[in-house]
Amino acid sequence: MTSLTAYIIRRLILLVLVILGVTVLIFAITMMFPPEIRAYMYIRNAEQARPGVIEQVILIHGLNDPFYVQYGRWMSQVFQGNLGWSYTSTQTVVAAISGRWVFTFEIVMFAAPIIIFVGIYLGVQSAIHRNGLIDHICRLASIIGWSLPSFWLGLILISVFSGQLHWVTIGPLSSGYIDFIADGISSHTWTAYTGIHVFDGLLNLHPEITLDAIRHCILPVCVIVAIDVALLIRVMRSSMLEALNKAYIITAKAKGLSKNVVIYKHARRNALIPVATLSGMLVAGLLGGLVITETVFAFGGLGSWAARAALSTDIPAVLGYAILSAVIFVISNLIVDILYAYIDPRIRLE
Amino acid sequence: MSLATVVEVKDLKVNFYTYAGVVEALDGVNVSLREGEILGLVGETGSGKSVTSLSVMMLVPAPGKIEGGAVYLNADTGLNDVLMMDDSSLRGMRGKDISMIFQEPRAYLNPVYTVEDQISEVMLVHRKEEFLKNSVDLLEKEGRGRSVESSNYRRLLKNPRSLSVRLLQRFYSKKTLKKEVTKEVVKVLKSVEIPDPERVAGMYPHELSGGMAQRVLIAMALACNPRVLIADEPTTNLDVTVQAQILNLVRILKRDYKSSILYITHDLGVVAQLCDRVAVMYAGNVVETADVFRIFGAPLHPYTRALLESIPSPERGFKSIPGIVPSLIDPISGCRFRDRCTYAKEICQKVKPPFLEVKKDHSVACYLYGGSQ
Amino acid sequence: MSVRQKLEELKVSMRPRFKEWKFMFKRIRENPLALAGLVIIIFFAVLGALAPVLAPPPAGSINAFKIPKDLEINVLTPNPTPPTWKHIFGTTDQQYDLYYACIWGTLTAFRTGLTVVGISLIVGLLVGTIAAYYGGLLDEVLMRFTDIIIAFPGLILAMALVIAFPAKIPINLSMLFVVVAALLSFLLLMLRPSKRLLLAVQAVLILSLLSIFYYPLVWDLTLSRLDKVLISITLVGWPGYTRVIRGEVLRVKNEDYVEASRASGSTDFGIIMKHVWPNTVYPILIVATLDIGSIVLSAAALSFLGIGAEPDFADWGQIIQRSRAWLSRPEQLIPNLHTFLIPGIFITTFVMGWNLLGDALRDVLDPTLRRR
Repeated sequence: MTSLTAYIIRRLILLVLVILGVTVLIFAITMMFPPEIRAYMYIRNAEQARPGVIEQVILIHGLNDPFYVQYGRWMSQVFQGNLGWSYTSTQTVVAAISGRWVFTFEIVMFAAPIIIFVGIYLGVQSAIHRNGLIDHICRLASIIGWSLPSFWLGLILISVFSGQLHWVTIGPLSSGYIDFIADGISSHTWTAYTGIHVFDGLLNLHPEITLDAIRHCILPVCVIVAIDVALLIRVMRSSMLEALNKAYIITAKAKGLSKNVVIYKHARRNALIPVATLSGMLVAGLLGGLVITETVFAFGGLGSWAARAALSTDIPAVLGYAILSAVIFVISNLIVDILYAYIDPRIRLE
Repeated sequence: MSLATVVEVKDLKVNFYTYAGVVEALDGVNVSLREGEILGLVGETGSGKSVTSLSVMMLVPAPGKIEGGAVYLNADTGLNDVLMMDDSSLRGMRGKDISMIFQEPRAYLNPVYTVEDQISEVMLVHRKEEFLKNSVDLLEKEGRGRSVESSNYRRLLKNPRSLSVRLLQRFYSKKTLKKEVTKEVVKVLKSVEIPDPERVAGMYPHELSGGMAQRVLIAMALACNPRVLIADEPTTNLDVTVQAQILNLVRILKRDYKSSILYITHDLGVVAQLCDRVAVMYAGNVVETADVFRIFGAPLHPYTRALLESIPSPERGFKSIPGIVPSLIDPISGCRFRDRCTYAKEICQKVKPPFLEVKKDHSVACYLYGGSQ
Repeated sequence: MSVRQKLEELKVSMRPRFKEWKFMFKRIRENPLALAGLVIIIFFAVLGALAPVLAPPPAGSINAFKIPKDLEINVLTPNPTPPTWKHIFGTTDQQYDLYYACIWGTLTAFRTGLTVVGISLIVGLLVGTIAAYYGGLLDEVLMRFTDIIIAFPGLILAMALVIAFPAKIPINLSMLFVVVAALLSFLLLMLRPSKRLLLAVQAVLILSLLSIFYYPLVWDLTLSRLDKVLISITLVGWPGYTRVIRGEVLRVKNEDYVEASRASGSTDFGIIMKHVWPNTVYPILIVATLDIGSIVLSAAALSFLGIGAEPDFADWGQIIQRSRAWLSRPEQLIPNLHTFLIPGIFITTFVMGWNLLGDALRDVLDPTLRRR
């Protein structure tokens, strides 16, 4: 077994442990709520959600039993695929998630590459021209962006572009197209290949839907990018400055290499290493940051669903979202660590 | 300047503009390196040896700035002042006419690229034509003289800056060129006595021991057959047995490649073993330059004498030079050694002694030997 | 030695540190962005300190943070009114004075940021230092625990906590004693091994005995909504500090001077206080400064979602949340713009001040980049 494989296996075990820990912790928090609310965690479909049934559910599933008994029972149910019933969205939690993740994904799909590439480029330029004009501009712009409340920025953009200029409506798609797709699904003229409107539009040979979906994504993506690109620029800048101070840069210059080669081939490659790991965590963290943005733009993704659920003490939904979020976080941690070991040859020996 | 001199540093002045003040690191340094010799540049930490060597290649880092003097390089292109060269001439000179090796070899190698990557890099910068020609000939011999690869190489040879070829560089196969370069890399690794050079070529710097890494640095410096090699304390961080091997290697380089070597060190033992001539530096000046036997046998400058007397031995015991090196910020007037010199005169406090040749091939900067007119 | 001599000694020994601080302050003064940040923070601090003068609470009010309503303007119209001489920034819906809210909101913002960061810092320092310094199983367990909390979606968890927390928490005093005993034994771990076990056992025994007497005493702690928000954000945020601090302590722990200190017989506690913490304080300070801004934004986000401070509490996020309803229709936008823009500008500027300062501190305190 190579050291890399052993490393991955060890990390996988830790991953499982952490996810288990998350479930325990959040289950413990739910125990602060009365049994009537917790009953929804065990319901499978709409029939069971009627008032009379709830008391029976409480008795059946022994919601007054000790903690570990309930936990065990609940975990076995989760492994069977039942995450409970979300009464704010009148669906099972699993259905709610599978219906909504596509909208969140649309935003992340555009925002992440923009943040990463723009952040890297501006960070490198800031480092090369340290204390120059571009450095100061980037710094100021990124600090302002980082200081803006996301909901405030979102509301400003909405009131300007949607309220005053009427360029775009709030939500993932224009209402006309939403009905169009709904009709298309029921009459089998529309196949939801991916569920993501941007792709489905092209795949169903309706490019105007793709364009419309993109247009609706622009504002939320702008908000996310404006706020998060700051972090990447700063980290890239300081990483690049550190790399440029290293001894091997003198060697590179002493070999007669041109300035561009020294900067982009030698320094930047080393500077990208910590940035790569940060980017991975940033993308994973975008999920959390979307809660506010999705709510402001009524995007109907996981974030806004979870926010509404938390506000209405819809425990199964919050539980499901927390587990999903933790799983994504831990898996991206793992991917980032593997990537790090792959990029930096020094780590491979450990 | 005689024809046999390869590098001549004349009256070099370098300042460092730091927060604490202006550090006058070099105050009129005069060194000349002759063809085929090993010149030892000796001095304490802070005497300016490294700054001098970096200035020869115009690599002084900020906040340092070269404020005066000249560095004449006698290269194939004729006699040039390095300090006046433009960027592209400098780049052509570095790695090809003059090369440098450094003190902490693993820090001076890029950790994310293999040994082969880094050595072939310098080869491709300076010897690309040669490799292209060889590749074309090789393809001709293999009967592939009319292939796409060959025609691309030929086009590059004819017009190295052609935009179309440079854009297409990513797409056509460069296997033959790569093979040729790899062969050369292995050859140069062998010449620095690295065992199993093919395997080492694929290794990363952190996988190498200190001695191996230093050999790799030397190989990289020699890759384009430079006339001058500057070695900045290459064995200081290595243990003694490895040090002996590297020193032996340097001797072989001088003998087989006929390179001129500027060897910087603070270890007088190394100087005695290795160097032909010695230049002694103190606080930003060269105070004495002579043949190695003269320096050890009949040193003239009081500092050189004190330095030799401070070498610990059973008879002498431990004898140090009283006082400390003066600060280079707002430096004292006159000779910078005057506060620690037992022979200091009045004129030493006021005016800096000129660097004069007082015997054949033996120059000193000290009023004991004249210069007070 | 006399007191004067001891003072002289202290002054001499601190001289290099003073010199470093002087250099640091000079760098801060020279950096325009750092100065801007500092000016902004001082401006808000003055604003907050002078709040009773600038926006005096109406006569007879118990809680200065409750925004006064102007009942003279037509109570039947819930619409916000634009700025007038009487209400400098205008009023929000329900006729709350915007100017009053913004001024007192400054104090709320400071309170939010400093409290959360302060507590998170203390907890993070304790847990992170102990985990990093002692290593081994303790480190693994503590780090897994913090990893679990970090893996949570922070905002959602904070929301759930705010809702789940009861408004009244009965605190059993004997529980308090147990907590104090636990903390004490933690600290005692860091004394000399020969002494620590004995002292720890003694302390725990005494405290357990005392706690029996206090068992029946229960004290009700009332939490305002803002308090719940602060607690939730702290509970969600402290692992972040723990990780950073642990990283820093790990770095310092392997330095030569720590080993030298241990070889000359210092206690663990002594080493931590004299060597570890002073060398790790700078990066932690930077993280803390930058975090104050983030926390104020998070609290505002929670207010925006409706679970922040009470409806008439002076809190910037709260005000913006109120103004949201008036933005949806275009014709309502312009007359009501002030209710939305002014508090937003307050928040952004406040957070920007801290971010500028933290960013500049990061540049100033970076040892590799300093002396250029």
